[in-house]
Amino acid sequence: MSTKGASLKGLLLVTLLVSHMLLTKEGVTSLPICPNGSVNCQLSLEELFDRAVKLSHYIHFLSSEMFNEFDERYAQGRGFIAKAVNSCHTASLTTPEDKEQAQQIHHEDLLNLILGVLRSWNDPLVHLASEVQRIKEAPETILWKAVEIEEQNKRLLEGMEKIVGRVQSGEVENDIYTPWDGLPSLQLADEDSRLFAFYNLLHCLRRDSHKIDNYLKVLKCRLIHDNNC
Amino acid sequence: MKQRFISSVQIILQLALTTVGLTGQTYPGKPKIIRCRSLEKETFSCWWKPGSDGGLPNNYTLFYSKDSEEKIYECPDYLTSGPNSCYFDKNHTNPWTTYIITVMATNEIGSNSSDPQHVDITSIVQPDAPVNLSLETNTSANMSYLWAKWSPPSLADASSNLHVYHYELRLKPEVNEEWETVSVGMQTHYEVTSLQAGVKYVVQVRCMLDLGEWSEWSSERSIQIPKERLPPEKPTIIKCRSPEKETFTCWWKPASDGGLLTNHTLLYSKEGEEKVYECPDYKTAGPNSCYFDKKHTSFWTIYNITVRATNEMGSNVSDPHYVDVTYIVQPDPPVNITLELKKSIKRKPYLVLTWSPPPLADVRSGWLTLEYELRLKPEEGEEWETIFVGQQTQCKMFSLNPGKRYIVQIHCKPDHHGLWSEWSPEMYIEIPTDFRVKDMVVWIIVGVLSSLICLIMSWIMIMKGYRMMAFILPPVPGPKIKGIDTHLLETGKSEELLSALGCHGFPPTSDCEELLVEYLEVEDSEDQQLMPSHDTPSKNTKIILKETDSDSGRGSCDSPSLLPVKSRESRGLPSALQTQDVRAKEKKGGKGSWETQCTASEQKMLPCSSESIKSCTWLAAQLPGNQAAMFAYHSTVEAFRITLNTTNVNTSPVLVGNEENRQSLYPIAETVYDDEEKMSEMEYSKTDQTRVQVRQNQQNDKSPFLNPKLMDYVEVHKVRQDDEPTLLLKHKENSGKTKKNPVPGTSKEYTKVSTVVDHHILVLLPDQRTQNTPVAQEPVAETSQNPQESQGEKSTDYSTTAPSDSRGDTSGSDYMDPSSFMPSFK
Repeated sequence: MSTKGASLKGLLLVTLLVSHMLLTKEGVTSLPICPNGSVNCQLSLEELFDRAVKLSHYIHFLSSEMFNEFDERYAQGRGFIAKAVNSCHTASLTTPEDKEQAQQIHHEDLLNLILGVLRSWNDPLVHLASEVQRIKEAPETILWKAVEIEEQNKRLLEGMEKIVGRVQSGEVENDIYTPWDGLPSLQLADEDSRLFAFYNLLHCLRRDSHKIDNYLKVLKCRLIHDNNC
Repeated sequence: MKQRFISSVQIILQLALTTVGLTGQTYPGKPKIIRCRSLEKETFSCWWKPGSDGGLPNNYTLFYSKDSEEKIYECPDYLTSGPNSCYFDKNHTNPWTTYIITVMATNEIGSNSSDPQHVDITSIVQPDAPVNLSLETNTSANMSYLWAKWSPPSLADASSNLHVYHYELRLKPEVNEEWETVSVGMQTHYEVTSLQAGVKYVVQVRCMLDLGEWSEWSSERSIQIPKERLPPEKPTIIKCRSPEKETFTCWWKPASDGGLLTNHTLLYSKEGEEKVYECPDYKTAGPNSCYFDKKHTSFWTIYNITVRATNEMGSNVSDPHYVDVTYIVQPDPPVNITLELKKSIKRKPYLVLTWSPPPLADVRSGWLTLEYELRLKPEEGEEWETIFVGQQTQCKMFSLNPGKRYIVQIHCKPDHHGLWSEWSPEMYIEIPTDFRVKDMVVWIIVGVLSSLICLIMSWIMIMKGYRMMAFILPPVPGPKIKGIDTHLLETGKSEELLSALGCHGFPPTSDCEELLVEYLEVEDSEDQQLMPSHDTPSKNTKIILKETDSDSGRGSCDSPSLLPVKSRESRGLPSALQTQDVRAKEKKGGKGSWETQCTASEQKMLPCSSESIKSCTWLAAQLPGNQAAMFAYHSTVEAFRITLNTTNVNTSPVLVGNEENRQSLYPIAETVYDDEEKMSEMEYSKTDQTRVQVRQNQQNDKSPFLNPKLMDYVEVHKVRQDDEPTLLLKHKENSGKTKKNPVPGTSKEYTKVSTVVDHHILVLLPDQRTQNTPVAQEPVAETSQNPQESQGEKSTDYSTTAPSDSRGDTSGSDYMDPSSFMPSFK
């Protein structure tokens, strides 16, 4: 009996380990086990922020890599950068543009802005993940990154909603959101225009993911470490 | 005579005077016509060079004749062309005539004429250089021109100024050596193009008629060609950098300024704004830069930056530079770098590096996150080892090579984008040599020293072993004989001892016998000290003998546990001996008893003191070889019935054992051999051997757990030396028994022996005689023989030749040998 129990425990342990490894590989750390019967089995805000920052860091890393790969492969000598000015769909969201603004804005507002940006990317990321496969000779590294970013963005959105729900006193505003109408440009027949549409989308993704990452790091230092990271 | 002399002097003086007068004033020298030249084919001039004037004013006259006429004319005009010249005007000049010209110099004394000169006008034409050269520069359509003007040479006759000249112009930059010559033609101005801007040029002209020679070059004129005046070329924006993710600066490189003062302006527009702004601050970041302070810096915004260069001639704009400040962050290198060596628990040193982020970077707010990388290499090394350490601001470095000096540098970078900072200044750290190595050395030294000390100690112990042991382990009082005066024993005065014992009467009681035996043993031990030296060529035996001596004599090795056993056996045996008539049996029994003791001692070994250990161990080594003999011993009951031969066999192993120390292989054969020898000896006196053995037994009894075998030797030797006199005496009494002993040679020995050991002789004789009992007497006699035998055996052992011969020849010689050896060994 005791050996049976031990083997069962061992099996359980192995599965836990494996699942943990899989999760950490995706940049997610497993939840600590709640003690039985505890009512308030909640992650601390610090823990939530830690995970959010890790996730946003990861998303930005992916988007940055993806942009660079695309830039090297398709945008050389086409002068896309000059055309890409002022054409992000999230530009209408007024976000802090420097450190002072980021420090002055109320953290609830900033959190809502982050939520807004994340929500605004839900739609385009879905389309990006599907449309990027139609790019001629798109390398596998770009393809899987598009999918990965889409998934992780959703995950981060969940986490941010959790954080906002924890931090915010009033109602959570769900209306901050900018629609994206760039799908037709990704399906243009003209290759140059289509490639530019991708370029611009990736450029904006890189920028916004960096924004979110930066805001989250600032918020974490402000809310958790009292501006003394 | 005198008058004649004077007159002659006068004559000479007069002659001299006259000659002086003649040389001072003479006719003029020959003038020379230098040159005749026509400037314009219509007139011409000739110049001459006067010869010596002869000390008088000269007049020069030029005469000429024409080839067509005989008539000689004089120069028409001496003035126009200057001194010593003659000018022929138009009227006197005929181009188709050849003139023959001479110049004559005349003074009071006489005249002299030059060589005639033939002059053809057409061949002497050379105009003067042009005059009034003037230069101008002109710039039109970004090109510089040089405008040169001049006048034809002026002529004396202004009316004939219609000649046509050809001109040449040459020019060069002032610093150059080589001229550039330009054929101008007949015009008196020229325009030079393709000049270098900003260079000073030198210009000359010359002219020539349609025949004749080029004139001289005119005087130089120089002029500075002005620099170009161009609009500036396109400047280049080199880079933009933000050191702390809050402000940023852009630098540009100006191109050619077109030779004019040029202004640079930086213009930028931000993403999403149409308006173009100018740089807010040109000064803060130095020349050719623009500093954007916090107010002017936005992130996640593309700046479109251009630089415009402007001068009088126009302006030029650089290519646009697109900047998102997010991606151009390059922090300053980290500061406050400290290197510290620490020791781990295992005492291995490791390096702890700590540093601080650059002061400008605001890491605390989370706005900027820095990652660090450090690199290090040995000072003389080539390749850096680079280590990325992430966001932490300290690092521990293990596994550095001790004894080397390392260079360490650190730089940092924002977490996502941007550039690595410069490397921090080089920091040096010396890794001390490995502590463990030092420890090893120390330990090795300690080990060597201690082992040396141990060696020395053990050496001393071996050399003076028993003395040392005597110090360390004081001798346990020997066999407890009541009433014995140990002092007397030590002094060796046996007589007094005996008297003290009070064993005067015969037959001696068993107690008395024991006492005697003990006494003998004690003496033996003293003798043994002497014996080993002459007995044993090999050291092993010596050592053993000594040890046995020490054991026997002082009983230091006696362990209380063993003593009783031995005493029981020994005391039990004597009683047996007394009851049994057969001495051999007694001997055997005795032997058996001590053999068993020995085995017991071997098996137990524990009782052996440090001194005895050696003997014990030795025994252990010896005994296995003697197992056969041992076996015989062990079966004591049977052994009792064995004949003397067997007893010999028994005794022999002792010897063999000694032999085996050197040759372990042939003990048995040797024993047999020895037995045979002994047998032969036994023929002489069987009883002797038995007696000897008895004594041995007794000794064994008394000296608790000495190696019985060794003791045999010792005793025999001792007995031999000391007891020889006694033997002699006995032989005299019991001459019938011992054939060997009464050899004539013995008489000599007696004398020697007596001198050596007086006491013993005296003491022993009376005892043996008084005992009268065969047991007592015979042993003594036998002991006397046994030593011989044993010696003989030993000698055979050590040198096979000696023993048999010596025995076969004479027993006396045998006796002699040891005595003779004695001193040498001693």
